Amino acid sequence: MGYRLVEIELSKPLAPIELAPQHDGVGLIARWQDRLIGFEMIALPASSVLSAERLKAVADERFADRILVAKVDVELSARRRFAAETALPNLSIAICTKDRAKRLSRLLSSLDLIRWKSAFQSVEIVVVDNASVDATTREAVECFKDVRYVFEPKAGLDFARNAALRATTGTLIAYLDDDVVVDRNWLAGLAKACRDNPGTGGFTGLVLPFRLDTEAQIVFEQRGGFGRGFIRNEFHNTRFDNPLHPVGSGSLGAGCNMAFDRALLIELGGFDEALDTGSPLPGGGDLDIFYRVLRSGRPMIYEPEYAVYHEHRETIEQLRRQYWSWGLGMMAFLVKSRRTDEELRARHRAMVRWWFFNQFKALARAARGLRGRDFRFGIAELWGGIYGLAGEYDRSSARVRTIREQNR
Amino acid sequence: MTGDAFRVRHVDLDAIDADADAGDSPSLSIFWWKDLPVGMRASLPDELPYTKARLRQFTAEFSAAQMAARSTSLGAPIQATDEGRPKSALSLAAAFEAKNLIDGLDELATASSASAQDISVVICTRDRGPALAECLRSLAGQRSAPGEIIVVDNSRDGNARMVCMQFAEVRYIHEARPGLSVARTAGIRVSRQAIIAFTDDDVEVHAGWTAEIARAFAEHDVEALTGLVLPARLDTVAQRSFQFDMGGFGTTFVPLVFGRRFFEETRPNGAHVWRIGAGANMAFRRSVFDRIGLFDERLGAGAAGCSEDSEFWYRLLATGGACLYEPRIVVFHHHRSDWPGLRRQMRAYMKGHVAALVVQYDNFGDRGNIVRIWKKLPAYFLRTFLRTLFEGPPGRIGILAAEVEGWLAGLQFLLRFGWRKRRTLPPQALAEEKT
Repeated sequence: MGYRLVEIELSKPLAPIELAPQHDGVGLIARWQDRLIGFEMIALPASSVLSAERLKAVADERFADRILVAKVDVELSARRRFAAETALPNLSIAICTKDRAKRLSRLLSSLDLIRWKSAFQSVEIVVVDNASVDATTREAVECFKDVRYVFEPKAGLDFARNAALRATTGTLIAYLDDDVVVDRNWLAGLAKACRDNPGTGGFTGLVLPFRLDTEAQIVFEQRGGFGRGFIRNEFHNTRFDNPLHPVGSGSLGAGCNMAFDRALLIELGGFDEALDTGSPLPGGGDLDIFYRVLRSGRPMIYEPEYAVYHEHRETIEQLRRQYWSWGLGMMAFLVKSRRTDEELRARHRAMVRWWFFNQFKALARAARGLRGRDFRFGIAELWGGIYGLAGEYDRSSARVRTIREQNR
Repeated sequence: MTGDAFRVRHVDLDAIDADADAGDSPSLSIFWWKDLPVGMRASLPDELPYTKARLRQFTAEFSAAQMAARSTSLGAPIQATDEGRPKSALSLAAAFEAKNLIDGLDELATASSASAQDISVVICTRDRGPALAECLRSLAGQRSAPGEIIVVDNSRDGNARMVCMQFAEVRYIHEARPGLSVARTAGIRVSRQAIIAFTDDDVEVHAGWTAEIARAFAEHDVEALTGLVLPARLDTVAQRSFQFDMGGFGTTFVPLVFGRRFFEETRPNGAHVWRIGAGANMAFRRSVFDRIGLFDERLGAGAAGCSEDSEFWYRLLATGGACLYEPRIVVFHHHRSDWPGLRRQMRAYMKGHVAALVVQYDNFGDRGNIVRIWKKLPAYFLRTFLRTLFEGPPGRIGILAAEVEGWLAGLQFLLRFGWRKRRTLPPQALAEEKT
């Protein structure tokens, strides 16, 4: 079981795609003149061939509209309309990792291909080793030219993210998780977003699957994955079409690919170290920082060309745990924000209500369709939410205090 | 929903580089490319002014949608389907070939200069003097003057006569028998031109309204047209609720052909003819009234409630005709400003809707109409109730209650057999359908 991931360039003639015996589908990553414009999953019999005609039909249906938009956009740039002239800042890339030297090397290799020809004034890369048990992480970093290594003994993703904030010097700081690989236009996409949107507090980008080799990875991507689509988006402190905004900050993007004005993060006090603490509470930190950036009055931009490929969970069991952690992280974040941001309490309350309503709706739908796996994922997320609502933020804060004391 | 009034503003994407006049109030921005309306968006002060990047994004998205819907090489015209929103027929090859899109858009956006001399404009009014005066003023300022303007005064005492006397070119007639369908019929009877365009007394029409109707009929072989109905003002909660929670009078900015495909696809659930447009902005070739009859006098304001327009479109589509929705034909509607007024309106809409479903069933025997009364509408009420409970807005419940009341009131028509027998359909139309 597995989907073959294929990149197609729509401005060139389309060739048929052949599947190996172990493949029962195709994940199409579509570009038009190198610009990412769509992603589509197609189930197929093993060892079959996706003909050029069928591929063309998919492109007609799913990608043609986006090509037209991209074309108009190119024409508009050529006419120099709406062009903003902003100098690009210094960029720091921060990678937080723990005991995953192999994946880290993979990510650093993908960065090494693009970092030397970017439009940014300067690009520094800092790897924060978050209390790895052995020296393999350090050794992996030493294989690459001009990558700094920082050790953070306090285990917890947000400890590491804050260490990166202190260790870097750039005006803009881009965070990457160690389980991603960057797209070849990742830096160019970030540069474009930066140039076009002066005064932005932060950026999030597209997250595509790195591979779809296991059932869990396919299922996760089919259920939406981390994808936020191929259309640029802009987020502010309030939003007409969503009265709960910015409390539902998950719609902005994902923590594995985000960038911020570094001075703003320092001013906001950095990431909340009681969220994203590894196995007990593996989430919520990104929601919290998106929320706080928007609440500070600075906008955030979602830019699809600023894209990474994420290695999804391999097994169904790990995936179920991920959904559990989404519920947990969401509620821990909501409990925390409710306490610290009194002004929006009504929205936090409404968000909890909406979230549970939505979960129950999904459960009912799964039950009606006799989809046992979706039902179990739903239960996991719901259970995570209940557990998160029942004091997880306080338990996590206590654990984090202990870690701080131990590392004093 | 915030308590602040929304400003309705017009932004020409072709003329500006930066959003200089955003102000600090929430606003509904209606975007144009020269004379072509291309899209709209509601935003709160935090989201304004739109950044240059945002304006560029709007321009790219809106322009691409216009090109796909209007240029024949890219798959135009788009047929309406049961999806409810326009789905372009663009192919990869066509998108690949497309060149000079902005020049193409410039060409499309040229305003019509077609003569409107063969258009009779009919406005039915009842006790709304000041609003009617605004409407007539907007008609007096048309780029292409219509062949005639007829005001049908449906008030008891003929109180619109004084208003009409201020406008030299207006023909005034008094129709004392109450009912919008009756008034419209009276207007059709006295009109002399080959095209009859209707608007309402609570509407101001765009300066190119008649010229665009004339162009659309000249370019397309359809019997009926509808156009874009934009809100004139969004000052009160009732007006905003109608526009944003109830969807206003539609928000589609690309032309759509409502024909056989749309009718067949939505027929099993009671063809969704109300999506075709609004009586405040519609036009017909005179010949269509000979072919399928006039507006059903049992329906419409003053009778069952409303839906005399959509029932007419139902007959048009059921007998093989088509209606073009052309958003270049623009009017501005003054939504009901008081909350009780909005509730009454929504009640009347639903009551009239049920009545029209009964009439449509009697005329053509489509079970879908009955399915809609007994299944689809109750399901819609339940869904709306649950969603509102969890997601708001709170005011929606009150409107929903009015809709349920209207539905209950509409059920009486199922049992009023005498009422159901009073058909106004010409016999040849029915015969055509049966063969």
